[in-house]
Amino acid sequence: MSEFLLTQIINYGAPLLGIIVFVGGLGIPLPCTLLVIAAGAFARQGILPWHTTALISIISVVAGDSLSYSLGYYSRELVLQRFSGTPRWLQAEQSFQKWGPLSIFFSRFLVTAIALPVNLFSGTTRFSFNKFLIYDLLGEVVWIIGYGGLGYWFGSEWELASEFISNFGGLVLGVIIFGFGIRQAWNWQKQNKAKSYKNAEA
Amino acid sequence: MSSKTTPRQRVLVIGLISVGIVFTAFFGMRALHAFNKLNGHRPPPPGKVETDVELVRDWMTIPFISRMYRVPEKNLFDAIGIPPFSNHDKSLKDINQDYYPNAGGYVLDMVKATILAHQPTPTPDASRAPSAVPMLTAPAAP
Repeated sequence: MSEFLLTQIINYGAPLLGIIVFVGGLGIPLPCTLLVIAAGAFARQGILPWHTTALISIISVVAGDSLSYSLGYYSRELVLQRFSGTPRWLQAEQSFQKWGPLSIFFSRFLVTAIALPVNLFSGTTRFSFNKFLIYDLLGEVVWIIGYGGLGYWFGSEWELASEFISNFGGLVLGVIIFGFGIRQAWNWQKQNKAKSYKNAEA
Repeated sequence: MSSKTTPRQRVLVIGLISVGIVFTAFFGMRALHAFNKLNGHRPPPPGKVETDVELVRDWMTIPFISRMYRVPEKNLFDAIGIPPFSNHDKSLKDINQDYYPNAGGYVLDMVKATILAHQPTPTPDASRAPSAVPMLTAPAAP
């Protein structure tokens, strides 16, 4: 898949990259990060104009993200039918209001695997669209300019940069999952202690 | 975790921690390995024509390779023995499948060989010549 898309980007240039990152923003699993790094390298080789490519890509990916936000927004009723009023849902909503901006920003370029769930959840929890747009745009600019810039920097050796970035993203995801597990264990431990204390008092 | 935690909660937490450890170890090792490779490489200076044929991939097209290595397209198409018409947009892999289905990797090898043949023969760099070696000059006439 990656190789086919790389060939097509050479042939069709920035518009095709725009379509790919738009579709990627909708959650279709495509090797978008690899393609953005490669596009940076192609820009260095004079195959793609870097400014047009960057602009088209940023607009397209933000459009894709906004569309997936709206999917979450309009499917709220469906989600609420199942979870409405449950303590877990309320807790999730509250915590997203607090951590949403950071989740949106970092999931654009650091932990891209969770970008789609974050978009959908932002919409479902009615996270402010303006705020979503700002953090989304900032994150995507880092993704396109930062990763595309890496490709540009490394030129024909861009594959080395891509290999490191993809593995580093996996490493960060692993640390987050591990941290979440530890936090959950810690919370339950605290709750259980509180319960035992209350029972002992009673 | 206390004994009051439900078995489901325990499985969830142990699962999360285990998956986290596996991911961290697996991707951590790969990231470290990739970083070491990355660290050893310096980006090519701007404007430098690529000469390393090991960077040719079979997803590349002939016009792309021509531009990357500054080798005329015609030379590459001639070396593979195919007409440029209708083959401009094809990857080396597709060209190989279309024209030489029984010779895997033939097109890639031919392209690499053509690039190498097109590169100028390296000449000794006078500025890097060791100073201890005496210059070979014609003896002065008596």
